[in-house]
Amino acid sequence: MSQNYFNSLPLREQLEQLGKCRFMHLDEFTDGVEALKGKKMVVIGCGAQGLNQGLNLRDSGLDVSYTLREAAIKEQRQSWKNATENGFTVGTYEELIPTADVVLNLTPDKQHTNVVNTVMPMMKNGACLSYSHGFNIVEEGMKIRDDITVIMVAPKCPGSEVRAEYVRGFGVPTLIAVHEDNDPQGEGLALAKAYAVGTGGHKAGVLMSSFIAEVKSDLMGEQTILCGMLQTGSLLCFDKMIEEGIDAGYASKLIQYGWETVTEALKYGGVTNMMDRLSNPAKIKAFDLAEEMKSIMRPLYNKHQDDIMTGKFSATMMADWANDDKELLGWRADTAETAYEKTPAGEVEISEQEYFDNGILMVAMVKAGVELAFETMTAAGIIAESAYYESLHETPLIANTIARKKLFEMNSTISDTAEYGCYLYNHACVPLLGDFMKNIKSDVIGAGLQLNDTAVDNARLIEVNEAIRSHPVEDVGATLRGHMSDMKKIV
Amino acid sequence: MPLPHSIRLQNVTVEFDKGFTCANLDWVIHPEHHWLICGSNGSGKSALAAVLTGAGDIQQGIVKNLPERVGVVSFEAQQELIEAERRKDDADIMDVIAEGTPVADIIAAVAQDKPLAEELCDKFGITPLLDRAFRKLSTGESRKVMLIRALICKPDLLILDEPFEGLDVTTLAVLKQHLQQIAASTTIVLVLNRLDQCPEFVSHIAYMANSELTQQVSRDNADEWSQIQGLLHLKTADLTIPPTDADTSLPELDASQPLIRITNGAIRYGDTTIFENLQWTINPGQHWQLTGPNGSGKTGLLSLITGDHPQCYVNDIFVFGFQRGSGESIWQIKQFIGYVSTALQWEYTVGTSLRNVIISGFYDSIGLYSKPTDNQRKVADKWLAVLGMQAKADETFSSQSYGDQRLILIARSMVKHPPLLILDEPCLGLDEMNRQRVLALIELICQRSSSTVLYVNHHAEDKITGINNYLALDDLP
Repeated sequence: MSQNYFNSLPLREQLEQLGKCRFMHLDEFTDGVEALKGKKMVVIGCGAQGLNQGLNLRDSGLDVSYTLREAAIKEQRQSWKNATENGFTVGTYEELIPTADVVLNLTPDKQHTNVVNTVMPMMKNGACLSYSHGFNIVEEGMKIRDDITVIMVAPKCPGSEVRAEYVRGFGVPTLIAVHEDNDPQGEGLALAKAYAVGTGGHKAGVLMSSFIAEVKSDLMGEQTILCGMLQTGSLLCFDKMIEEGIDAGYASKLIQYGWETVTEALKYGGVTNMMDRLSNPAKIKAFDLAEEMKSIMRPLYNKHQDDIMTGKFSATMMADWANDDKELLGWRADTAETAYEKTPAGEVEISEQEYFDNGILMVAMVKAGVELAFETMTAAGIIAESAYYESLHETPLIANTIARKKLFEMNSTISDTAEYGCYLYNHACVPLLGDFMKNIKSDVIGAGLQLNDTAVDNARLIEVNEAIRSHPVEDVGATLRGHMSDMKKIV
Repeated sequence: MPLPHSIRLQNVTVEFDKGFTCANLDWVIHPEHHWLICGSNGSGKSALAAVLTGAGDIQQGIVKNLPERVGVVSFEAQQELIEAERRKDDADIMDVIAEGTPVADIIAAVAQDKPLAEELCDKFGITPLLDRAFRKLSTGESRKVMLIRALICKPDLLILDEPFEGLDVTTLAVLKQHLQQIAASTTIVLVLNRLDQCPEFVSHIAYMANSELTQQVSRDNADEWSQIQGLLHLKTADLTIPPTDADTSLPELDASQPLIRITNGAIRYGDTTIFENLQWTINPGQHWQLTGPNGSGKTGLLSLITGDHPQCYVNDIFVFGFQRGSGESIWQIKQFIGYVSTALQWEYTVGTSLRNVIISGFYDSIGLYSKPTDNQRKVADKWLAVLGMQAKADETFSSQSYGDQRLILIARSMVKHPPLLILDEPCLGLDEMNRQRVLALIELICQRSSSTVLYVNHHAEDKITGINNYLALDDLP
């Protein structure tokens, strides 16, 4: 195995790369797709990202074809069907890679080393290799041939959404980066920008980042707040409601759709708006619960961030890859056996507001997780914009997968890397919150506060509101959401 | 006096002069109701009112309880009276200048109630004209005389066909006030072209379309009441298609080239072929109707044209000067197309205002992601005026009724005056009233714009005037 690229850099450069993140303005994209016009783009892999990015790029007037392993073509696997039914040319690596001006590696992280080692010798001199996740470069230390330009274009949404937003005439927020060690002709940025335009990302906002910042923040976000916290929260909240005598169907539904509902408020107006959806006494309650959880969980968040920075996390995971995913598959099977996962959502009607009123603890968990992940990332040198996207911004997207088909759907939609990290987090966090959960009653999860008098102390409310609103994630969030809504919904 | 009994028309077909026939009339007029008959020109409004006076030959069905004393004001009745006066002149063979019957006598011919006659003449400002010959009055003046004649005979049923036409503002107010007064004691049937003049006392609307009584709406049903107003607005207001925004003009198309040419078109999913060997050329100005049963690939074929179907890249398709797959972007194609379908309505889930939905037609986007220009806002507002929805410009799209949403989307498809307008089953899922509203708007567009229309429907009855090229997908070889 190659050496971890991040660890090979001096501290000064590590910090510089971690701190890279700039919101690009629309007028930086006036060249459109020109830099890619007439170039042959060959996509490796035809899963959700591969197919949908390819559809967008072709609809933007670019020349896109797909290359699959010979076996996938011969056996007419799903990836082959995806590509051919959509009218794309499909060929083997040998047929297409040597003709490619840009090779888009959109396979799962786990296959990167194998895929890149196979295709690199076939690539044209001076061609471009594009990633949508920098794990292979940063964590596995993959060395790319000196004549090849290496870029990253990472839409910050699931593949289906990348397509749906494009068709509407919009796009999804996208992160781009150039691997500075591999930019021999200095055209990396122009290519990455044209690629982002081709997928529609420029309309929703493009962040200029680095491979390192992307990997270190992406790993941190996905394993803590995004997937880990929602999984842990789902299991703890469900078991508590059953213990408190809440109907199992109701409990299951409150969780399955509750994450989506409360984080929808988060998406529109940050933690402030999510908390504002609660009554005053409930808001103060949620605030106190979140503070308590933050102090309990902070060491865990720090540990995750530290393991990501040192490369310990990726080394552990890669060891499991080498061991046929034994841990991952075992944890996946365990999750399927949990009481929450096995209880279908009841037929009962739950109004939008009720998800807040009866889900105070869930709101508190989202607040605690978002703020902790953000604080931990920025303390580790990741810039606030990156930290925002990898924590608050993506939470509603993951919550949506739970709404669709519970934890099973979440874990099968996210990458193996995220899933592995999610289980690691969950196994540590469930026992960590054990004592805390002992004092939890149905008033904060399942039944609502049911107060006759909703009066609160003025001074206390002002204090709580001030604390919520002045958190740094709210500051950067307001700015970034402002950029997006400048272009997006003129609601 | 109100009607002694309800007037009943059961399955009535009635024929008038020149073969004009109103069919399948089912209508009940309760004594305490006041009806307004409306519809576009030539729809049979006046004919329906005339049935109540006993006019026309009943070919079929039953008409019950027609009242004896009916007061009628209409252009026809007015013209008849003027004609009669003129004949009197013509009949006079003596070489003297005939003055004609004075107004006072014309009124006295029907009025027994002198004080009421005087009061009304005063009210309508006719008193100074009492000695003048009726046939020398202006149209407006003779109209007032007709009104007075109808009002003083205290009819069981008062039929007023366009009573407000040609009246000055003062007289209009006087008449409305008088009608309001007598509505408590007289059953009134009004025929009006413009619903904005509908008096308060009207409790029901009868809507005529193509000589049939297609809608009967009670004021108590607020939704239907506002929909029928919208329909009438489209049908009767003198509407023009708003101009497009000069700043967002489309690239010029080569007029000698077809808009669309599909050669050996096919759609296949795995081993299933939806259609194949399809040849289709659409030339500018050639309106087409596309038909075919469910699953025959109508929508698929359309999406090959719009670029929404990925197999457009493996077909031989020439659209708006582009051979598909030659490096063009779909936005270069979509700019030439206006598109409406049920699927679009379902997908249009963005929470934005009606004005913004219409403006989004300039950008071919679902939702609005660019700052609109002032001009674009103006164009959108003009379209809202065409639809009679000016007051709702800032309401959200999702809060509108299904039918109103459809009308808004049709306006969205037309804002840029696209060379090709695709209407994919535009009436699907609509009730009768909204179906008529949509058809009214489409007909307006077909008549008054230069867009080539491609209309998809499997209902033969929803034919649109002006479309005479047909492609049936089930007939493909």
